[in-house]
Amino acid sequence: MVAALLAGGCGGSDESEATGKPLTIYVNAPFSGTPFVGETIARGAELGAHIVNNRGLNVGGEAYVLKVKRADNRLSPQSAVANVRRAVDDDAVAVVDEGTGVDASWRIAADAKLPVGITYQGGIGLVDPESRPNVFRVAPNDHGLAFRLAEYIIPKRLKIALLVDDSGYGQEGKKALGQAFKGEESVVARIDLPAAATDVAPQVLRARRAGATAVLVWAQAPVIAATITAARSAGWDVPIYTPPSGADPLIRQQLSGHPDWLDGLTFASGRMTSEVGTSPFFTFVQSFEAAYGPQRVGVQTADGSDVIQPPEYAMYAFDFVRVLAAAMEAAGAVRGEAVIRALNRVTIAGANGDERGFNLVNHEGVIDDDVYFARFRDMTFAPVEDDLLSASLPNVEQTR
Amino acid sequence: MAGTAALVQTRNAVVEAAHEARVGWNRRATAAVVVLALAALVPALPLDVSLDGLAADLYLGAAAVGLGMIVGLGGMPSLGHGAFVAIGAFGTALLSDRLDWPTEAALVGGVVVAAIAGAAVGTVAGFLRPALVAVVSWLIAWLVFLGLAAFPSVSGGSQGLILEEGTVVGLRLSATLHYELGVALAALALLVFVVLSRSPAGVALAAARQNRAAAEGLGAPVARLRAAVFALGAGIGGLAGGLAVYLAGVADAAAYGPLLSAKLFIAVVLGGAVAPAGGLVGVAVLAALSRLVELGGLDSVQAARVEALLVAVIVLAALGTIERGLLPSLTDWRRRRRGGEPREVAAARHEPPIVDAPASVRGRGLTKRFGSVTALEDVDLDIQAATVHALIGPNGSGKTTALAVLAGAVAPDAGTVAMSGHEPGVVRTLQATAVFPELTALENALVGARPGLGHRVARAVLATPKARADARAARAGAQSALDVVGLGAAADVRAHELPGSAQRRLMIASALATRPRVLLLDEPTAGAGYSEVDLLADLIRDLRSSGLTIVLVEHNLRLVRRVADRITVLEAGRVIADGTIDEVVENEAVLKAYLGGPRN
Repeated sequence: MVAALLAGGCGGSDESEATGKPLTIYVNAPFSGTPFVGETIARGAELGAHIVNNRGLNVGGEAYVLKVKRADNRLSPQSAVANVRRAVDDDAVAVVDEGTGVDASWRIAADAKLPVGITYQGGIGLVDPESRPNVFRVAPNDHGLAFRLAEYIIPKRLKIALLVDDSGYGQEGKKALGQAFKGEESVVARIDLPAAATDVAPQVLRARRAGATAVLVWAQAPVIAATITAARSAGWDVPIYTPPSGADPLIRQQLSGHPDWLDGLTFASGRMTSEVGTSPFFTFVQSFEAAYGPQRVGVQTADGSDVIQPPEYAMYAFDFVRVLAAAMEAAGAVRGEAVIRALNRVTIAGANGDERGFNLVNHEGVIDDDVYFARFRDMTFAPVEDDLLSASLPNVEQTR
Repeated sequence: MAGTAALVQTRNAVVEAAHEARVGWNRRATAAVVVLALAALVPALPLDVSLDGLAADLYLGAAAVGLGMIVGLGGMPSLGHGAFVAIGAFGTALLSDRLDWPTEAALVGGVVVAAIAGAAVGTVAGFLRPALVAVVSWLIAWLVFLGLAAFPSVSGGSQGLILEEGTVVGLRLSATLHYELGVALAALALLVFVVLSRSPAGVALAAARQNRAAAEGLGAPVARLRAAVFALGAGIGGLAGGLAVYLAGVADAAAYGPLLSAKLFIAVVLGGAVAPAGGLVGVAVLAALSRLVELGGLDSVQAARVEALLVAVIVLAALGTIERGLLPSLTDWRRRRRGGEPREVAAARHEPPIVDAPASVRGRGLTKRFGSVTALEDVDLDIQAATVHALIGPNGSGKTTALAVLAGAVAPDAGTVAMSGHEPGVVRTLQATAVFPELTALENALVGARPGLGHRVARAVLATPKARADARAARAGAQSALDVVGLGAAADVRAHELPGSAQRRLMIASALATRPRVLLLDEPTAGAGYSEVDLLADLIRDLRSSGLTIVLVEHNLRLVRRVADRITVLEAGRVIADGTIDEVVENEAVLKAYLGGPRN
């Protein structure tokens, strides 16, 4: 069904033909801080809106058109809060949020009965159906990622150094890792990295001196790149593990002069394809690329092929917008408490074929167990073979 | 009984203050009140505006007014004002979040911390040249930002410190209340600026901004005043920061980086640092630009880029065309339209007040060296009370150094200076015509007129009855000094609009306003015409008759001959002659020094 929808969206009528009252969705993301993340979230939301508009959004007998407005949170909670305020002032119907500043902004949105859909950050405390009924998430959460990483790494009998940066992303990861690796004797060092640093050699050296035989870095992409650089340039060839930020193209761009340094980097992320098969996700990829072109990483494989980034996080924003539209239709209203209540009821088929939806006690659109591991080789990544779920997943084409 | 007396005293003070306010009221004050009243009514009007956004702009505007005090009044180009806004913001947030202080107490705490930090920086900045103030303050902006980033336990890391919604006097801090508080804070900051700028302390600061050496020569405690005004501006910035974090709901280090300091400085430069409302106008221009760019339908990333570009272009254009900022340039333009040519002023002079205890001055063994140059070598000076004592000699003979040593401005390497009596009271005029061009004649004189409590910024800002009484006395003293030099009718004329001769007398009036017992005049006739020399001679004689002791350094021997009771001749830092004019002109050493040998 999703494939049909996407096919219709891509090859069908142009959005300019969609008519109706405009409804604004704000995308609150770090367009200047980590542009890849911001851009991919915004494109996913725009594509979701495009699909909904082409299909037609009819609520209570009235036709509506979804419009997406980008607001840069600059990775600053205060900017993020200001953007949510602007969304409220603009009478927006929802905020698709990267996650920065949600601790402060959710209340403002709640007062205005504005749903917030987090589509990147996985902080454990960000989502709580009881205390934050208007906050939802379609992205792997840190709890799931951290426990899956622990489950994957600990049996390898490695001595692990846990490195986190002091960004919001890193600090939320630190909390999750703290729980997942609690009391774990194989952890020989827990080190904080400055998010603004371009050289983390001293911290990497500390990890090495602590006797670590593996490094788990939970940080923003530039810090991961700096960590790999510090380790490999010092000849320290230990396995390095990361959360989803390890797949950020920026790391490959920064390490393009030393592709071998990236080889072996393993990251955890939400699986892109579902149990129903690869077809829905590939259809989504086609639709995405038809709209925006392939997301070129800016590096090449050894044989000279351009490397393409799959629109994984765009998929989450894409799904949230479509769940929102379904909730509007179910509620018979386009904004307010009725839509938030309806978001707890509706379910759609997600871009990868998984069911996406929430309920009264669970506002997580991606379940914990859906975390897989992938490893880089020659600037592209593939699911690892030594994890049951990952081994069952197909390889996603990443070159052109 | 005592309570009743206190009530009566308070009532009288209030009535007096109201009377003074009425007397000082003008069209600008009316306009300001009308604008503020209209601004306060905005939430009640059916306008589609974001009160949150306006409140944030008003808080920023208030912080800019605080910076305006530091830059415009204090003459210190601070590029780090955002640091004090940050200190106030995080001080308030920490007290509220970690210690559960009520909103009002947390805000006061934040202000105090910011003001203390401002006083500390101001104490150093008060001694520095403007360029160094800019560098040091810019470094402080970075230091605070990096410090907050380095200690996430203090700053809440990149998630910031989350604040619960505050209450002020039992009222929930809603967007409307924030807006009204923003209007009130901006009004308060403006009022403080205006009150301070009109006080003797403010006049002294303005004078020091234009000519620090001359202001200090008149006894203005420039470094202390600058520290105080820095603390005041920082405190206002801190309060703005504290309120802003309650508005945002989060204190986030990323929002208080050096860019905030740059933005505040740009606003002040754009609006005009010397105008109380300059910072507010600058912030309004920047906010309007931002809104204008938003109307263009650009996304926020593009909008931010376009906005930054527009701001840069506008600031450059503004600096190129209206050097002093929007508001002062507007005032200058209006003044030019009214006619700003140098004004002739009547020269009717009043008798100087009698000096109660004429003073004599004795210098013994005065020696001063500057590196390898000996400016004074074992100089003895005996200056009798109520006389005119001239110091003459060729260029470089040490006359001005001797004057500076007598004034206490330069410490001798050896020797002592003693003045009869216990009261201080030596004042010195500078060699060049050192008036404060942007100040009126009365304000120029006011720089020297020290009120009873001296220059107290806090008292001036609070306009206590004592401070107002002192200010009145200072103004009366300043007016009297103008009357003595024949500039009584020019009290409201700006110094740069006066002809050169009047400016020279104004410099003397400023010195007289300090109520000195000893007046040190350094070449008062430099560049003066014949008639003016006559006028100055009359003035000096009158001053001597009033009991004032005058030490005159002068090249114009015509004036010296007419007024000096005694003359000391210096050459190469040594006394070569001392006596009456007749004794000195026959001295061979003097003739040799001036003419290369004795007359035939």
